[in-house]
Amino acid sequence: MSGLYSSPSHSLLEEALSFGEADDAVYLSSSRPKAALPSGGGGGGGGSGTVVLIEDCVETNGGFILHHLIKRALSPNRPSDVVVFVSFAHPFSHYDRILRKMGCNLSGHRENKRFIYHDMLSMNSPGSVRDGIEATDDLLMTLYGKIQKAVELYSSPEGSKHVTIMIDDISLMEVAVNGLSNHVVDFLHYCYSLTTQFGCSMIILNHEDIYSSLEQLSPLLHLEYLANVVIKAEPLATGLATDVHGQLTVFNKGICRRNGKSKSKIRNFQFRVKENKVEFFYPGSQT
Amino acid sequence: MAAEAIIRALRDGALEGEHAPALTIEDSIHSPLSPSVFNHIIAHLFSNIFTSKSQPQGIVLVAFSRSPQFYAELLQSKANDVTSLNQWVRILDCHTDPMGWKTRLVKNGIIANPSVEIAAPVSLCENVKDLDKVFSSIVELGREFVKDKKGRFAVAIDSVSEILRHASTSSTASLLSNLRSHDQISCAVWSVHSDLHEKKTLSALEYMSSMVGIVEPISQTTTSQGSNYDNLPLMEQNFVRGKFSARFKRRNGRIRLMLEELHVEPTGIKFVPSSQDDLISQSLVPKVQFNLQLSEKERNDRAKVVLPFEHQGNGTPIQIYDGRKSLNESNRENKDYTVHKQTEDAGRGEITYFRDSDDEMPDSDEDPDDDLDI
Amino acid sequence: MAAIKSRTSSFSRNVSTVSKTNVPGLKHGPNGTTFLSSGIADLDKILGGGFSLGSLVMIMEDPEAPHHMLLLRNFMSQGLVHKQPLLYASPAKEPRGFLGTLPNPVTSRDEKSRERDAEQEKNLRIAWQYKKYFGEQNQESQKDEKAAEYCNDFDLRKPLDRQTLSGQNISCVSLQESSDLATLHDHCSKLLAQFPRHEGEIISAGRISIQSLCAPQCDYSDKEWHLLRFIRSLKSLLRYSNAVAVVTFPPSLLSPTVLKRWQHLADTLLSVKAVPDEDKELAKLLTGYQDMLGLLNVHKVARFNTQVLHHSDCTISSCFISWESSLSRKLVSYCQNWMMPLYLFCFFIFFHLIFLSFHAEM
Repeated sequence: MSGLYSSPSHSLLEEALSFGEADDAVYLSSSRPKAALPSGGGGGGGGSGTVVLIEDCVETNGGFILHHLIKRALSPNRPSDVVVFVSFAHPFSHYDRILRKMGCNLSGHRENKRFIYHDMLSMNSPGSVRDGIEATDDLLMTLYGKIQKAVELYSSPEGSKHVTIMIDDISLMEVAVNGLSNHVVDFLHYCYSLTTQFGCSMIILNHEDIYSSLEQLSPLLHLEYLANVVIKAEPLATGLATDVHGQLTVFNKGICRRNGKSKSKIRNFQFRVKENKVEFFYPGSQT
Repeated sequence: MAAEAIIRALRDGALEGEHAPALTIEDSIHSPLSPSVFNHIIAHLFSNIFTSKSQPQGIVLVAFSRSPQFYAELLQSKANDVTSLNQWVRILDCHTDPMGWKTRLVKNGIIANPSVEIAAPVSLCENVKDLDKVFSSIVELGREFVKDKKGRFAVAIDSVSEILRHASTSSTASLLSNLRSHDQISCAVWSVHSDLHEKKTLSALEYMSSMVGIVEPISQTTTSQGSNYDNLPLMEQNFVRGKFSARFKRRNGRIRLMLEELHVEPTGIKFVPSSQDDLISQSLVPKVQFNLQLSEKERNDRAKVVLPFEHQGNGTPIQIYDGRKSLNESNRENKDYTVHKQTEDAGRGEITYFRDSDDEMPDSDEDPDDDLDI
Repeated sequence: MAAIKSRTSSFSRNVSTVSKTNVPGLKHGPNGTTFLSSGIADLDKILGGGFSLGSLVMIMEDPEAPHHMLLLRNFMSQGLVHKQPLLYASPAKEPRGFLGTLPNPVTSRDEKSRERDAEQEKNLRIAWQYKKYFGEQNQESQKDEKAAEYCNDFDLRKPLDRQTLSGQNISCVSLQESSDLATLHDHCSKLLAQFPRHEGEIISAGRISIQSLCAPQCDYSDKEWHLLRFIRSLKSLLRYSNAVAVVTFPPSLLSPTVLKRWQHLADTLLSVKAVPDEDKELAKLLTGYQDMLGLLNVHKVARFNTQVLHHSDCTISSCFISWESSLSRKLVSYCQNWMMPLYLFCFFIFFHLIFLSFHAEM
């Protein structure tokens, strides 16, 4: 087993993201059993057929969770797993440098087709509103097409190859389509259908504080309904501190599997972000 | 009980010339259990269909949120794993390609179109915005397995919230209304997420249904601030347990209300009788902080009270019912004292009683002007 | 992976990772980033070196006070001193007029008089409560000469020399002219196209300065999504070029949800706030209250190629959190609730007032 998984501070997040004890052991061990079920038999948030939603705010940036999950998805234990990364926020070099410090060579993975990066920074719907709507659809449909193509290519029916779709971040996607949030939900729904069809998983990031001022009918709710796991990054109630950069709350609703629904749970712990890793710990204790 | 009553009503279906019974299942993000309730209900309804104990001869499932494969597997397990559900189930697939993107992408050669083996016949819907087409597809599918002209089938719509994303409230309502009034439709079930829509829309859906089942969190938590450590166990509870309240519009014009708890277990959902007794006061009395009901004793005591004007002229001191006393203090009525009564009704005049100074009770909300001799 | 050395002061690390480039006006930062100066030495220090190339800096204005103009002026003057091409946009009909108000750097001639009239400096200084704990003061004075190349002191009394202005690549755009942002967008892309980012030495950088982007007198100001698209597009263009854009805007003119979107779009987020006049409580709390005109809050600092929080604020807040939090709470109570300081340290802008000199001169 890689040293990463045996370190205690990671186990808090891993435990929060897992969908059942037995599967944890399965997921963390180096070999995957052949009896893995396609309809969501994997372990861990980011395991087969799961949707993880990361919510952050201006005060506490949630990017580090994404970086952590990228590294996890590209772990050497599972060499045929692939990450399809759709970025609206940062260019490739940004993620590359960060992950390099964490011991993960994104450039290498990109060459080996384990990390497929789609640069959406300059993707924009046409300016005028008149032809906006159909053009928006086309734009999102094209993007979806690329994603499905990659998923088809790199998934395997028995579940030995796992694809993770990551999107950073949804609020910028909404700006790119001129605020037509409904279309973004359509797009995410299509990606969700991929999770059921191919057993891939989806990790998306959005900013909770943008929608919290909307009394109701928040587009974020659609995402929360879609997600199996919601990870909220927030500042500490007591304010800033050197050793603790914020708190994470993980709402794990469980997933439906053939043998039943896994147990749902909620976990809350604190974190500290470092160059090469993130530490998770309960308040008052440090690993 | 509530769940069974619902299933019974659905199974019995519609009478001649009557709208089909329809169930709306509502939930919210804090207890997102309506999919589980939906699955439970259609699974049991299907059992009845499968064993020919029901009016509907088959079920048409309109799948939006979950894949057709999921429902096929769910129903297959209820049918004792009979290989083909051909005889009883049709699925209208609005999940895989609601906007027709995949079809267009396949046409442009960008993606392949792998077919998935599903035990039930599935018909793909590529444009969920066209509700007329959706309606006619449902009816077509249903006709495939009804045995005769008088045969009926059940319709279950996975999530009306999805329909409402693509269509207006009025077109959605008209789709549901058409379903209910179709002679070959026996009953209908649909689910909705209440916090995704305006109150008006929810009211429209409830208006269109004969039964409404609402899933509420078992413990109310304040969710405005992120997370309190105290709140977490309660919030966790809300993912596995919930309050289920069902309202039935009965044929005789009355409403039946039932309240239960539901527990989510790995194998499904279980309905248990409610451990809380708040069903008793489900009446037309508005819900306020005050206790507006009277217990038996209170009712008797009230009957004994002599009304204010009754004592005038007798000269005998009699207890006067003081309108300011709360009902909880009714046992204090036994004490002998005259109290000061105020009626403030500026328009109609004031009744002022002169205080009996011996028994004067200090009373903070007294009007000091009552002492004036006008 | 760099070994993390133990350090006594946060700024020792800052100093070691920041090194000069051959180009005046640019400085190498950590993680492969490059800085250019904001024009205010203290602000550069707080931000860990300056504004990162490729970053979008947004300044939330106080509609009751023009302090954001000071920051803009210094930013623009600094760029002109370093001969960095500039694009300036504002809601005024004739934005070029603003260039006449840009301050001139303090030259060596002035320095002698500066020693004499120490009180009459017209520099914009940012004093921050933790400055006395800044242990690098000795090194600072030595570095001052070199630092002057990177960041100049500006004399707010004196307008920029004509010769500095002439021959420069300066374009001005009036935001009122166009009914949508297409013109401004074109200007921005034209400027940014001159500084594409690629492997290799950076030769020069550009500056964009946009004042009061959502000012109500502009036609497009109620088209929220147009504005958001423009900002996002600008941000994306910036990430692939060697330039910095400073955009100021009055937050009260945006709806809460749109304001949050703007805040998330910013790489570096600052806000300025006027100090209430004749406030006895503040006077008691803050030294130098009489000279103080406004408050500057740093909400977010650009984090490129790293996931770690800006190192200086971590260490500062750890030392002084008790004092700072009581202070900041006091100050937050004067601030509107839309401002939630991320890093709860507050800075005071004060400058020796013009009327002091007028008094002396009269």
